[in-house]
Amino acid sequence: MSTDWKSYKPLLVPAIPDLHEIKVYEKNGGYKALKKILSDKKKWNPANVINEVKTANIRGRGGAGFNAGLKWSFMPEPDGKPRYLACNGDESEPGTFKDRKIFEFNPHQFIEGAIIAAYAMQIEVIYVYIRGEYRPFVQKLQKAIDQAYDNGYLGKKIQGSDFSVEMYTHMGAGAYICGEESSLMESLEGKRGYPRVKPPFPAQRGLWGRPTTINNIETLANVPLVINNGAEWYLSIGPSTHPGPVLYGISGHVNRPGVYEYPAGMNIMTLINEVAGGVRGGKKLKALIPGGSSTPPLRADMLDGVSMDSDSLRQAGSMMGTAGMVVLDEDTDMVEVIWRISYFYDHESCGQCTPCREGTGWLQKTLRKIMEGNGEMRDLDILLAICHGMEGRTICALADAAAWPVRYSIERFRDEFEKKCKKTVYAVA
Amino acid sequence: MPEIFIDNKRFEYEEPGKVLQFMLDNGLDLPFFCYHPSLSIPANCRQCIVKAGMPVFDREKGTFEVDENGDRVIRFFPKLMTACSLDLADGMVIHTHHTDELVKQAQADNLEFILINHPLDCPICDQAGECPLQILTYKYGPEGSRFEHKKVHKPKAIQLGPRVILDAERCINCTRCVRFTDEVSKTHQLTIISRGDKNYPMTANGQTFDDPYSLNTVDICPVGALTSADFRFRARVWEMNQTPSVDITNGKGSSTWLWTRDNLVLRVTPRFNEAVNDHWMPDAGRLAYRKFNENRVSRPHLRPDDSEQVRTSWNNAQLTVLEEIEKVDADDILIIGSPHASVEDNYSLRAFFSSKGVSKFYFVPHVVPGSGDGFLISDDQAPNTNGVRALEFEEINDKKLIKLIETGKPKLIVILDDDLIGRTSLTMDHLKQSWTVVMATNHSETTRAANLVIPVTTAAEHTASYVNVDGRIQRTVPAKETLYTNRRLNLEMSMGRLDHYGTKFDNWVSDSNRVDCIPAWEFLVRLDADRDTPEWVSSRQILDEIADSHPAFTGVTYERMDDENGIQLKLEQVSEAKTV
Repeated sequence: MSTDWKSYKPLLVPAIPDLHEIKVYEKNGGYKALKKILSDKKKWNPANVINEVKTANIRGRGGAGFNAGLKWSFMPEPDGKPRYLACNGDESEPGTFKDRKIFEFNPHQFIEGAIIAAYAMQIEVIYVYIRGEYRPFVQKLQKAIDQAYDNGYLGKKIQGSDFSVEMYTHMGAGAYICGEESSLMESLEGKRGYPRVKPPFPAQRGLWGRPTTINNIETLANVPLVINNGAEWYLSIGPSTHPGPVLYGISGHVNRPGVYEYPAGMNIMTLINEVAGGVRGGKKLKALIPGGSSTPPLRADMLDGVSMDSDSLRQAGSMMGTAGMVVLDEDTDMVEVIWRISYFYDHESCGQCTPCREGTGWLQKTLRKIMEGNGEMRDLDILLAICHGMEGRTICALADAAAWPVRYSIERFRDEFEKKCKKTVYAVA
Repeated sequence: MPEIFIDNKRFEYEEPGKVLQFMLDNGLDLPFFCYHPSLSIPANCRQCIVKAGMPVFDREKGTFEVDENGDRVIRFFPKLMTACSLDLADGMVIHTHHTDELVKQAQADNLEFILINHPLDCPICDQAGECPLQILTYKYGPEGSRFEHKKVHKPKAIQLGPRVILDAERCINCTRCVRFTDEVSKTHQLTIISRGDKNYPMTANGQTFDDPYSLNTVDICPVGALTSADFRFRARVWEMNQTPSVDITNGKGSSTWLWTRDNLVLRVTPRFNEAVNDHWMPDAGRLAYRKFNENRVSRPHLRPDDSEQVRTSWNNAQLTVLEEIEKVDADDILIIGSPHASVEDNYSLRAFFSSKGVSKFYFVPHVVPGSGDGFLISDDQAPNTNGVRALEFEEINDKKLIKLIETGKPKLIVILDDDLIGRTSLTMDHLKQSWTVVMATNHSETTRAANLVIPVTTAAEHTASYVNVDGRIQRTVPAKETLYTNRRLNLEMSMGRLDHYGTKFDNWVSDSNRVDCIPAWEFLVRLDADRDTPEWVSSRQILDEIADSHPAFTGVTYERMDDENGIQLKLEQVSEAKTV
C-alpha cells in the first residue's frame, strides 16, 4: 500500500469544501453508516458492530495504539444505569495537532463514529473533552453537533429508531494531564485532574463510578469507514497490524509542515522528503521524534526503512504515539530540545505521585544546567538514575513520557551531551 | 484458607484486604506516607512499592505450574506495585526491601525524590521526633542527596484557619489533609492547588479553614507542613510525656492522649478508639489543655464573712465544712452533683452525704441543643452525664433549681465541680442566701460566689471514669502531678526522659506547676472524721464498690477499660438529655 501513496484519497479529512456543513457531509455519503446500522438492527446488533470494529483492528490513535473494538468489548452488559463514552480531544502533547483537523474540516465523521460507538456499547451519553485552547474548533464542533441534533442524528429516537444518545462538549482548562483517560474523567466530573489508580479500569468504574469507554477523536472518525466499507477493506489500507488512514502531523525543520493524511505504515523518509518537502534549507536530518514529545527520539541513521506503524517503530526503538512527527535538522542542539521537552513535563506533571512530581523538576533543572554550559559528566549519570527512578513507578504514564526522551537521547546523542558537560572541566591552578 | 507469601514467609488471611494493611496488621514493616487506614487510598506517595507476582495456573492440569525444583512458577507484575492499593490474592508472592534489591533501591529513590524539595529544617520543625518522613528516611532513605539545584520555594507560615498553620515547602503532597476534609469532616475546605512540584494544600480563595475538626489534619500530616497554631514551637516531642485520657469537653468523650512537660498539659491529641472516635477528635477538645493548666484553684479558699475569699489550710477547710454540716438539718442540705465530674467523685459525694442523712441528690445536665453534629461533637457538653444519671442523681433544670433555692430551705449548698452560674441562669444572689461549698478545678463565677472553695483535681490529675453519651465508660490516667502526687511513686504515671534524669537545673524540671488540690473523693474521706481508717484509699476502690452496688456497672474495672478501650454499659436511658 505504501507504494501507491501518491494516489491515496484522504478518508478522514477529504478535500471537499464546506464538509463541516451537515448538508455537504450527507451529500458525500455522511451518516450513511449510522443509517445502515439503524435500518438493519438485526444484522447490525451491538455485538456485531463491536466485532466488525474489532476485526478492522483500528489501533487507538491517541498514542497507546490499542485495538478500539477490543476496548469496546470490555464494557460490561448494560444494567439499566448510565454508562458513558468519553471522546478525548484534549490533544496537548507537543508535536501533536491532528484532532483539530477533524474538528475543523470533518466534525460530522467524528460525530457519526461516536454515535456508532455509543450504539455498539449501548451508551446514551457522550462527552467530548476538548482542549480549552481549541476554542474556535470547539465552536465549530458545537455547530456540527447542533446540526446533527436538528437533523435527528443525536437526541431522542435517532432516525426514528428506539436508540437515543446525547452529546455534550466539555472544554479543558489547559492541563496536559487531562488528556490521560482517567484524569480526563476526573476533570469531567469537575475534580482536579489527577489520574486514577488502576484497577478498577474505566470499563468497570469510570465516570461517576459507571462503565466508561474513552476513545480518541481520530479513532472514532475511523469507525464510519469500517461500517461503510467493511473490516476487510479497512484492513487493506496500510499494514494489517496497524491498518487505516492516519493523520500525520509533521512539524519542525521541514519545508512544508502540516497535517497529512496517508495510510498507516508510510515510510518515514518518504514522509519527510516527499510529503513534507524535505528538510528545511537542504540541511541534513539529525533526528526525528516520531509520535509526539513523549516518544523516544530516533537518530537519522536509525530511520532506514522504518515506517510509521507501531511494530516497525518499536523495532527501531521508539513508538508510534500520535504520529505527530517532529523533524530536527543537523543544526539542532539536542540538549536544548530535550530540556524544552523536560520543561514541558515539569510544567505539566500533576504532582500526584512523588517520582513524577519531583523527578520532572529535577530532570529539567539538571538539563538546564547542562544546556547553560555548567554540566558535569556525573550529571549524565544522575539524569539516567532519575529516569530509572521515575519509569514505571507512577500511577499514570506521564513519568515514563517525561523520562524516555531524556533516557533515549542521552543514549543516542551521548556525544552531544558529553561535549556540553566537558566544557566545565577547568584546569586547577 | 487463602495464603500469601511475603518475603518467603507464608501467611494466611481470612478477609479480602490490601497488602499494606495486612502487613501492618502482621507487624511487618513497609514505609508509607499517604496511606491512612481511615481514609481512601490514593497511592500517590509511591513509597510502599513492592515486587508482587502470582503463581502461574495451568488450566489443563488444574494445578499451579512448577519448575524443576518443584517450586511454583511465579509471574511477577512488570512494574513494582504499591502495596497500599494491591488486593490480597490467593497464592500471591510479595518481595519487599528485605528480599529484593530493586525494591530497596526504589524505596530509597523515592525518598530521595521526596527530599529534594523538602526544606530539611528538622531542627526547627515541630514535627521532628514524630515525623514519618524523618523516621522513614533514617530507615529506608539514601545516604545523601544528589540534588544540587535550588529547591522550589513555596509560601511559609500561612494561617490556613484559626487553628492550623501551613508551611507549604515541607508538604509532600500526600493529600491526607484534603482527603480528611472530603471524607471524614466533609467540609471540603482543603484542596491541592497549583501543579507538579509547586503544588500544596490550600483553601478556596478567601475561605478560612475553620473546620471544627481541622486539627486532625495536623495529626495525620506526615511532615511538619500543617502545625497547630496553639502548640507550634511550644515543646519538642521527646521532652513530653504521653498519657492516655478522655476528652472532657464533650459528651462524646473521645479517647485522647495528654502530652505533658513539667506538669503542664501542652497538647491533647486523639487516641485511636474504634468504638468512639476512630483516629479523630474535635478541635474544641484539644483546647482542654488550658483548663488543666490555667486559672486553677490552688489551696482551699474561704470567705470568713462578707469580705473577699482568703486562702486557708486544708485542715481549716475540713473543720469548717464539718461545722456547717452540724449546724443544719440534713433536709436543709442541697447537694448538686456534676456531669463534669467523674463517676467516682459523684459516687463519693452521694455516699458521704447519704451517711449524713441527706436523701435528695440533684444534677443539672449541660446540654446545648443543636450544638452537636452527629459525629464527634454531641449536644451534651459534659463528659459524664450518663454516669451521674446512672448513680441516680435527680435530673433538674436550672429554673427548677432556682425555685428550690428560692424557697429558702437549703441552708447549705454543696456543688461538685460545675460552673452553674457561668452556664445557667443561676446568679450569685441565689447562692448568697445559703452557705455554699464549691468543689472546683478552676476559678469561675460559681467559685467566686462560694463561701468555701475546695480545689479538686482535673481529669489530667486523677484516675477516674466517665460515661459518654453512648453509655461507654472510659477512664483517665493522671498525667500531671499535684502537690501531693509523685510520678516516681504512682506507677500509672508516665515517666519521660526529663522525669528520670532531669535536675532542677534543667529548663523543664520544676515544681512550680503542681497545683495544691486533691481528688474530690479524697476530701470527702478526710471529712469522715468519725472513722479511724479512711473508707477509700484510691478511686479504684470506689469503682469496685460502685461495680458491686450498681447493676449498670457490674464487672467494670480499670483493667477492663484499658484492655477494651472502654466498656459499653447497659444503661436504661442513654440518649442525650433534652433539658438545659
